[in-house]
Amino acid sequence: MSANPQAVGHLDADCFYVSAERVRDGFLKEKAVGVLGNQGACVIAKSYEMKAAGVKTGEPIWEALVKCPEGIYVKRDFRWYEVLSRLMLDVMREFSPRVEYYSIDEFFFQAVPLPGKTLQETAVVIRDRINEQIGVPVSVGIARSRTLAKLISDTVKPFGAIATLEREAEEELLAENPVTEITGIAGRRAARLGHWGIRTCLDLARADRTLIRELLTASGEALWWELNGDPVRPILPQRPRHKALSRGGSFGEATDDPVVLYAWLVRNTERLIEELHYHGVIAGRLSVWVSYKDGTSGLGQANLALPTDRFDLLLDAARPCLRKAWRPRARAERMQLIAERLGPRDGAPLGLFDPPSVQAEVLARVKREINSHHGRFLVRSAATLPLAPIYGDSANGYDICDIRGKSCF
Amino acid sequence: MSLAWSELPRDLIGRHGLERRVHDRGGEPEIRFHYRDRIPRIPVWRDGRLQVVRWGNGRGQSRALPRTGWTWLSTIEEGGWRNSGAVPVDIPASLAMERGVWYRVRQGVRGLLVPDERGFAVAYVICEPASHYYQVMTRSDRMPVLIQEQI
Repeated sequence: MSANPQAVGHLDADCFYVSAERVRDGFLKEKAVGVLGNQGACVIAKSYEMKAAGVKTGEPIWEALVKCPEGIYVKRDFRWYEVLSRLMLDVMREFSPRVEYYSIDEFFFQAVPLPGKTLQETAVVIRDRINEQIGVPVSVGIARSRTLAKLISDTVKPFGAIATLEREAEEELLAENPVTEITGIAGRRAARLGHWGIRTCLDLARADRTLIRELLTASGEALWWELNGDPVRPILPQRPRHKALSRGGSFGEATDDPVVLYAWLVRNTERLIEELHYHGVIAGRLSVWVSYKDGTSGLGQANLALPTDRFDLLLDAARPCLRKAWRPRARAERMQLIAERLGPRDGAPLGLFDPPSVQAEVLARVKREINSHHGRFLVRSAATLPLAPIYGDSANGYDICDIRGKSCF
Repeated sequence: MSLAWSELPRDLIGRHGLERRVHDRGGEPEIRFHYRDRIPRIPVWRDGRLQVVRWGNGRGQSRALPRTGWTWLSTIEEGGWRNSGAVPVDIPASLAMERGVWYRVRQGVRGLLVPDERGFAVAYVICEPASHYYQVMTRSDRMPVLIQEQI
């Protein structure tokens, strides 16, 4: 088996959450289906049938209903999606010596031609094998760099498979796609490029490299190399160490009640601590970011005297951060807690004036052990009582960002 | 409520003239049962047999029965239907609709079958207070009791 080091593959599931629902429920096939997230308020994934009716990802269900009254709405089940995602990862590892678990439904891989087959035939085999074994339709692109491979797989959706290492075919593809099709180029970056007449991916590939570096910094220059077929972004079979860990998300229903907001702060702190503990790290800096329904947002940050993963200390730091981020009477709809300056938990320096609290450590351990054996959030802070309906719904015990090992967020 | 075409025997479809209720939204066709139908009907499993019966008493055909198509689970538990001859039944359903939102039902819905004063079987859908998720999704404060499923 000879590997072509130049060939990078990208596999992307077609409307993954809907496809995952169809794997276990054939009744949903060929029907307009929307998967709801955020406690039932928004469409987080839609089938091609629902997309054809004009429904967009992130749209509130009440707007989606107007466009697609015959659509069927399904409650999301991230636990099931992760099961299928990891099965897809296992299949991919049969085809390639290097696979990157990029996101729940996307993989980059070193593309190796199967014995007696071309790369194009290999792309088709991979696509069909995933569909046969897992039941999820996917699209596959193989090219000289990951940026090109991703552009191809996006273009051939749904259920396409194309391998091309030819410059002529690449240029045709680049000319057809606006720069906003490239992950990492949107909004202000696209506008900045627009001033220089750079609108398509081909415009970007043909632009002066130093100009692109000036406009989009080193990350933009990396894209330029990749678009020209020089791979500078390696495939990462192991996720690099986290520089920051974050937990949070939408509230589902906006709130201006400080008690409810505080309950969300505590819930997100407990989730963040789970994550710090899983990775064996402690946080040296904490940020609380709150966004409001009127489009504004607030941020509070604190440096911790000593890095920690202890509930009482992190909450002591988070509380004033929330006060800074809080706007009285404004309706908040999202919150994110971000732990930065991460260091290893083992071997962390001890504080001279703040000795470890044996009681707090024991309490944290007991809480962790009970929850790991008997159910997540079984033991939790009483401050989260205003969120009883959230905890009462088992689907809220598992969030998309809790899936570990992916290289993207 | 809506039921996949394959879930209902042909003879039952013919006997109750259910062809007019067939809808196609892609994939497998469905037979729809609307409470606001001119002649509201609903399928029920009773003693291992699938039957199609009258759904509720919205048009006041019975003086003895409540003029709705549903009843609270708590009413049943508190004995509100005692001595009425009511029996619990399962209502097969593939989909249900609340305030315009169609959602998937895996097993079916709990129901109550009760005879009216002339002995005709009338079915009521059993409801409970809506879960947080269901309330956000449909804006309804009540939800049907689903069989081995929670939304």
